[in-house]
Amino acid sequence: MPRIPTSTILQAYHQHRLLPRLLQECRTLDSARNELRWLRERACSIASKSTGRSTAGWRTLLRSMCIARSKGVPLQYILGDQPFGDLEILCRRGVLIPRPETEAYTVHTADLIRSYLRRRKRRGEANDDSLRIVDICSGTGCISLLLHALLAPHLKKLSVLGIDLSTTALDLAHQNLQHNLRLGLLSSRAAAEVTFARGDVLDFNSSGVPGVKQVMLGQPEFSSHGTAQCDILISNPPYISMECFRNGTTARSVRHFEPQLALVPPTRQNSTITGVSNPEDVFYHRIISLFFELQAKLLVLECGDRPQARRVVSAYTALANQLAPNDSMSVEIWPPKDGLVPDDDSLNLESEACAVLIQPKYGDP
Amino acid sequence: MFRLPGICARGLGRATRIPRRSPWVRSVTTDAALSPALLTRARVLSAEHTSLSTQLTDAFDTKIAKRVGELTPIAQAVKEWDQIQNSMVELRSILDDPETDAELRPLALEDLESSQAAIPSIVDNLKQALIPQHPFAPFPCLIEIRPGAGGDEAGLFAVEVLRMYMAYCTRRGLRATIIKQDVEDGTAEDRMSEGVIEVEADGAYDILRTESGVHRVQRVPATESKGRTHTSAVSVMVLPSFPESGASALGFDDPNSDYYIDPQEVKSEKMRAGGAGGQHVNKTESAIRLTHIPTGLSVSMQDSRSQHANRKKAWQLLRAKLAERRQEAREQETVALRRGAMGGVARMGRGDKIRTYNYSQSRCTDHRSGITLHDLHGVLEGGDGLDTVMDSVRNWMVEQEIQALAAEETAKLKNKK
Repeated sequence: MPRIPTSTILQAYHQHRLLPRLLQECRTLDSARNELRWLRERACSIASKSTGRSTAGWRTLLRSMCIARSKGVPLQYILGDQPFGDLEILCRRGVLIPRPETEAYTVHTADLIRSYLRRRKRRGEANDDSLRIVDICSGTGCISLLLHALLAPHLKKLSVLGIDLSTTALDLAHQNLQHNLRLGLLSSRAAAEVTFARGDVLDFNSSGVPGVKQVMLGQPEFSSHGTAQCDILISNPPYISMECFRNGTTARSVRHFEPQLALVPPTRQNSTITGVSNPEDVFYHRIISLFFELQAKLLVLECGDRPQARRVVSAYTALANQLAPNDSMSVEIWPPKDGLVPDDDSLNLESEACAVLIQPKYGDP
Repeated sequence: MFRLPGICARGLGRATRIPRRSPWVRSVTTDAALSPALLTRARVLSAEHTSLSTQLTDAFDTKIAKRVGELTPIAQAVKEWDQIQNSMVELRSILDDPETDAELRPLALEDLESSQAAIPSIVDNLKQALIPQHPFAPFPCLIEIRPGAGGDEAGLFAVEVLRMYMAYCTRRGLRATIIKQDVEDGTAEDRMSEGVIEVEADGAYDILRTESGVHRVQRVPATESKGRTHTSAVSVMVLPSFPESGASALGFDDPNSDYYIDPQEVKSEKMRAGGAGGQHVNKTESAIRLTHIPTGLSVSMQDSRSQHANRKKAWQLLRAKLAERRQEAREQETVALRRGAMGGVARMGRGDKIRTYNYSQSRCTDHRSGITLHDLHGVLEGGDGLDTVMDSVRNWMVEQEIQALAAEETAKLKNKK
C-alpha cells in the first residue's frame, strides 16, 4: 500500500482534526471527507435521540467513531447499517457486509426476471404467477430481501428461502426482515414469503447440519412429492483462496473484522468433490450440481474476478455436457465487457468482482 | 442604533406587501386594454375550437380531443368577451335612445357600470387562456445551486441560498430533500461548490421556475478584514424532475420521445481505484459520474453510501439537465422567430443577473419585475418576502408572454396586408 504523502495528511488536518484518522483507512481525501460526513450525520442523530446527555455528546461520539475507523473497523459496522437497493440492511460483527457489486447484479437479476414475466404475460401464460427463489449463503439476507422488494409487486406469489450455515448471520437476516418491514421498505407479504433457515451447502455429513435439499424438503413451498424444487438459484458464496486472503489482495479491514467463514471456503475435505482444481471454487461446483438436481431455470453466482468466473463457466459446461447435453442454456459473465471501456480500464475489469448468469436461451428462465 | 434603519425598512416592506395568492393560479394584473392583435388570435383559435368540436361529434380522435381540451378555455373566454361587448352595446343604445322610459334609464346605467367593472377580469381570463402552459409545469423539480464569481464568499452565500429554498419549501409544505451538497476542496465545510435540492411535489417546477438565473449578493463577507463590501454571485437553475414511476408514460425508452437518452451515449464512471473487488475489499467510495458524450454534460453524485442510489440520482439529474437544455433550444428558436417581429425581445436567460441581495441596505431587488423589498432577512428565511418577490416575477413573466404574443400577431397581420 503506497504511503499517503505528508502534504495530503496536513491538508486533511487543516480541514478537520479527525480527517487524518479516516485517511488511514480511506486513502483518498475525497472518500475520507465523505465518511466523515456520514459519521457526523449518524453521531448527531444518535446524540439528538438520547436525551439527558450534554451538548458535546455527538462530538465525543464522532471522535470515538473515527478512532475505531482508523483501526480498520468497517464503516458499516460502526454505523450499523448499509443501504442496499432501496433497503436498509443492518450490519453486525460476524456477518459479511453487502458489497456494491452484489447490489448491482441483484438488481440486474430482478430486471431479467421482470422482463421475462412481461414476455410471459404478453403471450397470455399468466396463469402460473408464482416464483421460488433459493439464496445460498444468504448472510445478512440482503439478496433475498432485495429480490422480494423488487419482484413482489409483479407476482401473486413469491417464495424466497435464504440458507446459511452461520447462526449469527441467520439471526441478523431475521432482524433485517423485521427491520425493513417496520420501515415499510418491504411489502407485508415478505413476512410470510421470505424465510431463512440453517443449512450446510458443502454437506460433508460431519456437522450434523442439514444440506440444502434437506432444508428445502422441510419447506412446503419448495418441495412437492418428496422432491426439492425451485426456479431460481442465486448465491454469493465464499470465494477467496487462502493465498489471496493472506498475501495482501484482501484488505486489512476485511481480513481482521469480517468473518472468515463468509470469505474463504474450508479446505480440509475438498477431496469429497472430484474435479476441483482450485480449492476456492469448491462452493461453485456444489451449487452447479445442485442447479441440475433441482432443475432450476436461472443460476446467478458471484465470482471474485474474471479468471474465476471463466473457471466457473467451464465447470458448468463440463457438467452440462455430462448431465444434460440437450439443454441449451446461455452462459454469460456480467457485467459484459463492452466497447465503451477504455483499454487501461480493461485490466481493472479483469480483477473486479462479477457474476456468472446461466439462463435458458432467448432469456426464458 | 444600527438596527434602526433595518426595522423601518422592514416596516415599509410590510406595508407594500401584495396580498398572497396561491401561485397555482396565474394572476394577471395588467391594464384592461386588450390589443386588437390578441383578440384576433383569440378569435382564430376559438374558430378552430368550433370546427374541431364539430369534427369530434362525427368521429372521435384522441389527438383532436386533446387539442379541443386545450382550446376550450380560450373559446370560453372569447364567448364571455363577446357577450359582455354585445350587452354593453345594447345598454348604450337603450341609454342613447331618447324614447327610453325614465324608469328604465337608471337600471340600464347600473347594468352598464357593472358590466364595465367586469371587463378587467374577463380580459385577464382571456390573456391567461392565451398563454400556453409551460411544458414542464406539472413536474416536480430539482434546484441546482452553484457559486459563481466571488470565490469563498460565493460558496458561503450558496449555502445561504440553499437554506433559503429549503426553508421556503418547508413553509409552503413542499417536500424537499438535499440530494447533493459538495464542499469545496481545501476550505472549511460551510463553503459549497454545488448543491441540489429535490422538491418532490407535482407542479413545483411551475412555482419555482421564477428562480432560475444569477443571484447577486452585496455584503461585507465574514472573511473580509478591512470591512469592504464585496459583490459575488450564485447561479440557480431550476430543472424539471421526472419521476421514476412515469418512465413509461414519458417514454424514457422510446427513441422518439423528448425525454429519451441513449444509454450508449452516456459514459458511466465509478470513482474507485483499481485492484481487487467484491469480498476482497470493503471500499466505501460510492461516487458515480455520468457524462453525456454528445453534449459533454456531466453530473457526479457521491452523497449516498449506496452506489446504486447515487447512480439513480445522477441519472435523474442528467435527464433533468438534458430536458432543460432541449427546452431552452426550442425557446431560443421561438425567440429568434419573434425577434424578426419585435426587434429584440426582453428575455432573461440563465446567464442574466436576476436578483440582488444587498445586506447593508437590507434590500432585495428583482431586476426583472423591478420590485424592491426592504426585508432581506425575511426573504433569506424563505418567508412571505420571497413569496412577494416570486409573485411579482410571475406577473412579469405573464406580461412578457402577452407582449410577445401581441407583437407576433401584429406582425402576422402586417404580413397579410
